[in-house]
Amino acid sequence: MIGFLHPWLLAGLAAAGVPLLLHLIARRDPPTVEFPAVRYLMDVTREHSRRLKLRNWLLLLLRTLLIAVLVLAAAGPSAAIRQAGSHGPTALVVILDDSPSSGAIVDGTPRLTELRAAARHVLERATPEDALWLLAADGVPRRGDGPALIALVDSLKPSSLRLDIGAALNVAGGILAVDKRPGAITLISDVQASAVSPAAIRVPLLVIRPDAPATPNSGIARLDPGPQPWTTDGGAVSVTVTGDSGRTVPVSVRLGEHLHRQALAAIGGSATFSLPGIPAGWWPLRAELDPDELRTDDERIVAVRVAPVARVSCPRNDRFLQAACDVLLRNGRIQAGSDVTLGTLGEGASVVFPPDDPAELGALNRALARRGVRWAYGALAPSAATTDSGALIGREPVTRRYTLVRLEKEDTLGGVRGVVATAGGTPWIVRDANVVLLGSRLDPAWTGLPLSARFMPFVDALLNRLARGEVQLLNGAPGAPVMLPDLITQVVEGGRRWPVEGGAAFRPPVPGLYFLLAGVDTAGVLAVNIDPRESRLAMAPDAQLRQLWPTASISGLRASGEMAYTGAGRADLRGLFLWSALLLGVMEVAVASGGGRAE
Amino acid sequence: MSLATASLGRARVDLLDPLEASRLGGLEVLTQGVVEGFLTGLHRSPRRGFSVEFAEHRMYQPGDELRYVDWKILGRNDRLYVKQFEEETNLRAMLVCDTSRSMAWTGDPEHVLPKLAYAQRLVAALALVLLRQRDATGLITFDDQVRSITPARARMTHWRQLLRVLDGLTPGQGTAAEPALRRVVDLLRRRGLVVFVSDLLLDRVLALRALQFLRHRGHQVMVFHIMDPAELTLRGPAEARFEDPETGSSVILRPKDWAAVYQQRVEGVIAEWERDCRRHDIHYHRVTTDTPFGIALRHALARSAGFA
Repeated sequence: MIGFLHPWLLAGLAAAGVPLLLHLIARRDPPTVEFPAVRYLMDVTREHSRRLKLRNWLLLLLRTLLIAVLVLAAAGPSAAIRQAGSHGPTALVVILDDSPSSGAIVDGTPRLTELRAAARHVLERATPEDALWLLAADGVPRRGDGPALIALVDSLKPSSLRLDIGAALNVAGGILAVDKRPGAITLISDVQASAVSPAAIRVPLLVIRPDAPATPNSGIARLDPGPQPWTTDGGAVSVTVTGDSGRTVPVSVRLGEHLHRQALAAIGGSATFSLPGIPAGWWPLRAELDPDELRTDDERIVAVRVAPVARVSCPRNDRFLQAACDVLLRNGRIQAGSDVTLGTLGEGASVVFPPDDPAELGALNRALARRGVRWAYGALAPSAATTDSGALIGREPVTRRYTLVRLEKEDTLGGVRGVVATAGGTPWIVRDANVVLLGSRLDPAWTGLPLSARFMPFVDALLNRLARGEVQLLNGAPGAPVMLPDLITQVVEGGRRWPVEGGAAFRPPVPGLYFLLAGVDTAGVLAVNIDPRESRLAMAPDAQLRQLWPTASISGLRASGEMAYTGAGRADLRGLFLWSALLLGVMEVAVASGGGRAE
Repeated sequence: MSLATASLGRARVDLLDPLEASRLGGLEVLTQGVVEGFLTGLHRSPRRGFSVEFAEHRMYQPGDELRYVDWKILGRNDRLYVKQFEEETNLRAMLVCDTSRSMAWTGDPEHVLPKLAYAQRLVAALALVLLRQRDATGLITFDDQVRSITPARARMTHWRQLLRVLDGLTPGQGTAAEPALRRVVDLLRRRGLVVFVSDLLLDRVLALRALQFLRHRGHQVMVFHIMDPAELTLRGPAEARFEDPETGSSVILRPKDWAAVYQQRVEGVIAEWERDCRRHDIHYHRVTTDTPFGIALRHALARSAGFA
């Protein structure tokens, strides 16, 4: 396949039509010349016209070819060559898949060791004229010469970051687009079926993949500790297992360092564990499988918040809230007390509804301001709306609501800090300090929520989490961005700390538990585990790869030494084209001058 | 004295460039200048004939026609004498001039006379030379048919009549030489001289057949092939439609491509005319329109000396 260093110059091929155009223009309207001896001309044209026509067409062809060949030569043509060690200057991106799946042990050897060997083999063939990049699962393209990148390859270990191969190919294509050398991509991967995706690449792609798939694997796809926080009475845990076959595997869970339970779960199925009560606090909860060929997916961790239930002062004159409080009291989700005041602004944490009488709104706003709350009730919203779907609440109709107005100017980071839920695009539930403001009363005259099945969990979350300043537990994958709650100022994992800005994205580097701090208080936990898709080691079939990436040629790890540069090795064809142009020029002169000789 | 006359007095007009010479005056003045410059003298025919001018008496011999017997001498001396007359003209010449559309063409109007204008002056000069020799001279003009016939006369005043005819020539359309040449047979009953002036862009076979017929009748035939210098080589724009002014037929070509074979073809045509004319004892002269008239006349006079 012929490629070009300056493909935009190929637009000049249009100039090859100039001789034909001139021929047609000249043919269309030649000037008339009066000439008495036309009979002599007609005699000779009868005799020679066939030969001259042939000559003229030959000249037209030669001139057209001459221009076309010159334009092609100017565009810097090069062609793939198959001779070993003789490739032309090449821009090569090597994508080495060091995602968690590369840690699988195959025949006693980590898969990544084989992939690294293949990458070394490719990079050892590089010449100083080549431009080389190495792209691993972290998505950062690293530029370097052959030895430097080989050293980098040797230092790679199975990463906890997932590699989306389609996205990586697009990144590689973007890198090569700005380099004038003929480009090529070499993908060295275990090509998990779950990792491949379409990519728009126009350069040759060599896929080096293992000849045989890895042994069937199993891993923990999900660990769900249920609603948080747990009470000191304990809670339930659900574990989902994923993998390449339908067999049953033993699963164990461990809360903290002591509490341990075990059960059997089929791959693709779940196991549920009931754990007894433990003291209040943050507890790590681990689910584990027996060791297999891929160890990194055999354990999954989340955090469990164990806390006494909220002591709530419920309103006596609101039948829906009263009923909700009764249910929660009976189920032990709240206790009677004064930690949280529901409905009005109390001394401590409060969940505040707008008053029935608009005349009381001014006094309420002044009381909120005295408490240092930076939100206030504004005017009644002019029209009904629906709550915007979120983690706390689904879509519920809101027929009557007050607008909630932030009293201070927004910070420059964008977004409205403290907004928990919105209705019609405007704040509907906000929180500042330990005060939660609702734009509507929890009454069917204001919103349909009290009549909804979500009402009880909503009031539970309102009292046990929101009012007490706690946020939901977050889950994430290594390298994937997680939006942090507004009040978070610091992230802590082990001994590492990251100062953060609430509302911004945070990319956890490795699996583990990341505690989210608001000042000195722990406001939540981010549980980071590897992407469960990494547990499925089944390889994508070659046909699928060719369908996804039409420019791909596919090779096994053993053959990679011979074929690694097949796509990238290119010979400079400019000389050939220029010699061809010279030959065409000589032929043109010979034919043109030969036609003028008398016979 | 006119400017033309003055100019004629200073230079050999017969050796001037034809276009330059033609600017010196009208047809009459120019022709006189050409002829005077060229002609060195008249010659007289040694043959005696029976014409209007009495030469001498001689004794009657049996076989003499009785009508030439001088009856007055017979009455006075009772002897039979017959009268002999000196021929006033020793030659009857018929000039045949082509006036077809192709003759009106010139490849370079700024510098070269059209073929017809050149032929007019050449024919006028020839006529003057012949008349000064007391040769009876006539003129036939033709294009696709015979346009004018001026019978041969030997009087000098006849030259002005020929000039009037030549002056009034306008180019016709096609070319058909054979009828004009056939008419010469009717007009020249005795052996004479036929001068055929044409660009020979005509049917060669028919024209040659007519010329050959004239030769068979005993006439001396002279062909002036008038050619424009631009007809010898093919030039023009990169590509052009070349159109025949007589027939309207045309051909589109690139002169650069065809110049060589065209020149070859023209030379072939000239060679064919030369060969065919020589075969039939016809005097063929190719004259280009940039040839001074004196040169062309020298050809004619050299040939006419053969008739003396």
